[in-house]
Amino acid sequence: MTKKKRSYLEFLYVLPFLVLVALMSYYPLYGWIYAFHDYMPPKPISSETYVGLKWFQYIISNPVRTADVIRVLVNTFAMSGISLAFSWFPMVFAVFLNEIHCKPYRKFVQTVTTLPNFISWVLVFSVAFNVLSSTGAVNAVLTELGVIEKPIAFLSSRDHVWFRMWLWLTWKNAGWAAIMYLAAISGIDEQMIEAAKVDGATRMQIIWRITIPCLLPTYFVIVMLNLANFLSNGMEQYYVFMNNFNKKSIEVLDLYVYNIATTGRGNYPLSTAISMLKSIVSVALLFITNTVSRLVRGEGFI
Amino acid sequence: MKKLVSLLLALALVLSLVSVSAMAEGQELLTIDVYDDAANYNGIQTGWFAKVIKDRFNIELNIIASQVVGNTIYATRSEEGNLGDIIVVDKAKFPEIVEAGLAKDISDKLPACENIMQFKTQIDVYNKGLTGEEGKYYGIPTEMTDTAPDTLTDDVIYSSPMLRWDLYKEIGAPKLENLDDLLAALEKIHEIHPTNDDGDPAYPFTLWADWDGNDNMIGIANVVQLTTWYGEKLKGSAMLKPDYTFSPLYDRANAYYTITKFLNKAYQKGLVDPDSGTQNWDNVSAKLSSGRADVMWYSWETGFWNSVDRLNAGNAFIFIPVADQNYYADADRYYGSDRMFGIGSGVEGEKYDRIMAFLDWYASPEGATFQHDGIEGLNYIVENGKFVPYKDNALMDNLPVPEEYGGGGYSDGNNAINQWIVSSICVNPVTGERFAQKYWQSYKDMTMTEMKKEWQAMFDAEDSVDWMKKNGKLLASPSVDFTPAADNNDIIALRSEINAKLCEYTWNLIMSCDTDDAFEAMWDEMVAELDGLGYNDLFEYDCGVWQPEVDAKKAAIGM
Repeated sequence: MTKKKRSYLEFLYVLPFLVLVALMSYYPLYGWIYAFHDYMPPKPISSETYVGLKWFQYIISNPVRTADVIRVLVNTFAMSGISLAFSWFPMVFAVFLNEIHCKPYRKFVQTVTTLPNFISWVLVFSVAFNVLSSTGAVNAVLTELGVIEKPIAFLSSRDHVWFRMWLWLTWKNAGWAAIMYLAAISGIDEQMIEAAKVDGATRMQIIWRITIPCLLPTYFVIVMLNLANFLSNGMEQYYVFMNNFNKKSIEVLDLYVYNIATTGRGNYPLSTAISMLKSIVSVALLFITNTVSRLVRGEGFI
Repeated sequence: MKKLVSLLLALALVLSLVSVSAMAEGQELLTIDVYDDAANYNGIQTGWFAKVIKDRFNIELNIIASQVVGNTIYATRSEEGNLGDIIVVDKAKFPEIVEAGLAKDISDKLPACENIMQFKTQIDVYNKGLTGEEGKYYGIPTEMTDTAPDTLTDDVIYSSPMLRWDLYKEIGAPKLENLDDLLAALEKIHEIHPTNDDGDPAYPFTLWADWDGNDNMIGIANVVQLTTWYGEKLKGSAMLKPDYTFSPLYDRANAYYTITKFLNKAYQKGLVDPDSGTQNWDNVSAKLSSGRADVMWYSWETGFWNSVDRLNAGNAFIFIPVADQNYYADADRYYGSDRMFGIGSGVEGEKYDRIMAFLDWYASPEGATFQHDGIEGLNYIVENGKFVPYKDNALMDNLPVPEEYGGGGYSDGNNAINQWIVSSICVNPVTGERFAQKYWQSYKDMTMTEMKKEWQAMFDAEDSVDWMKKNGKLLASPSVDFTPAADNNDIIALRSEINAKLCEYTWNLIMSCDTDDAFEAMWDEMVAELDGLGYNDLFEYDCGVWQPEVDAKKAAIGM
């Protein structure tokens, strides 16, 4: 068998996956066509409904609307930024978890912290509502103790919304995110640690000089993956926690698209246009991270 | 002997086969897809109502509920060219469905449907308006009445202030001149009734946010509803004043301002449930049922508290007039409500016949009795040819239905189409009384309690509508046949933006303003933002859309 022929045959191995990617990731892009039409069911799109860039212009056509979009982007960047700034948290958590020598206790902590990941945001909110509403457990206890007279509006206040959202997110995700790092830690060469011990390194020195540097490549990959999703920082969490009092600070891009374009009868062209913009920004962010990574670490991801 | 037994067995087998095939021979089981904007349940109809239909027509209903699976189902199914065999849609969508060829021309079969054609006048008016041709039928309006366009049959209008009679009497039954008096009365009620019997906090007002912007009306649903106390009715984004002129919603002379300000004052006095802006209707209905609200304003809300026992005990909710108010009410929906029945364009042949037969039964006295009154022996019993309420908690408590109806819970098996052709205020020819229970003589006798008598003596009227009529405080808006034009994409986007902004501001106006100055400042800020977004364009648009309806109403009352 010639080399050329063999490489063609080997290509067949990846073919199923290429087909899958084409079907699942590229074919849906056909839907972008709706952003350029004045589509309104039940009437199908045709050359008559073509409106060009109308819906893109719509976003910037009005100063109040533009201010709204900017506010929403600020919320999105702020909350994604906070998550990014604290993205080392699961790694450190994993490192310390690994240092617990009492195995049953370690398993217990790991299970308890991983479990919230499997609870849906709707349920998380119903827990939050029962605990933090005006008649919830916290307010009831505080009133009973005479600490406060009027219930504290935990859920309907705008104060520190970004940070509080990060807390909920961390409570839900930290344990799950730590699993990746725990796997990476178990892959660290034992000999290095043994050698360091022989040389008299303390526990903290081992962590700082060996464990963390060995985890950094994993960390960067995860950061890069998160960056690609910078703009789509999920909508369920903000959707369930949003109300008319904290909306100004909590509305992120996905939620904005949802609120404006799908409530009532739904405006499909506008929602498609905004989500297209989102994809473009996400791709740009991905390339920027890749370039930065290449400059700083000397290797990219793509 | 053995031979005889085997012969009998064989005979039994043959007989059972014959009986099975006889049924199948008549008509095969037919599954009908019902595209339904009204349904709250998605899937095959189950339970007692399924059995009622299957026994009569050997039909089962597959409900496709846009409210459950999401609005996108409408887009997807119309792309496929088949919405469903039976189509129940919002009235505004019906013309475009006909235009897109998704609804069938039923001119050939509809005139033969005797039960449906008892509403010939209304059906003719609607279809003529739709096609411009006489005798051409596409749609059947829903919930039509057998009364007249300007009659008001209800004894309690859709929205009016209702307080708990025992609490109202306990604070000395003060005469209420205006909203300030109402506020003062509520303050006293809150003092004597700070919690319910279980010790959970109770408030005069407990509001909810998940209905905001519904029914194409912008703004907080609760506030919008209360504007009818001053004779105003929101049409999209435009406020229809009692003199049949339109005015911008945010005008300070309009009731949207009056009510928002009133609720803010109530909030400042601690009379509004702090959970109001964050809870949904489910939370509120639980609070209503457990006595944690002191004011109700929808006529049907009393269903969560008032019972025959409570009416007897005198602690039920009842209308308390406020002298400066002038109540808006829609007259009987003679021309039908806001949805339409249609038949899918793909329905042909035998299926078509069977669907029309089913729909005609659906509009028959028997069909309407099942829809409005439930099951004999469970929801009502018959005495001397009249209906008498029996277990009126069948729906609320999902009571088991009799075996002959296949068992299961009453609520679980209730009609999932959730939309009727015959209104519940039509007269049932079988009993000579209206379908709706509250008009039965037996029900009236049951509820003529001490409390009701006291109320009648105090306000010198039969019931709340009677009081309003006697005192000239009722603005009954006549029913006309009107379909608002469907919004285009620009208006949809604008409306949802304006609505979001308005709701956000209104909630903050009610619950974040601690002084009147702060309230006024925030109101100004809101008006500026709404104007900036293009409120005026929307206002102009809505005035244009609703003007024909207003003209028809004016013509109907001879204005």
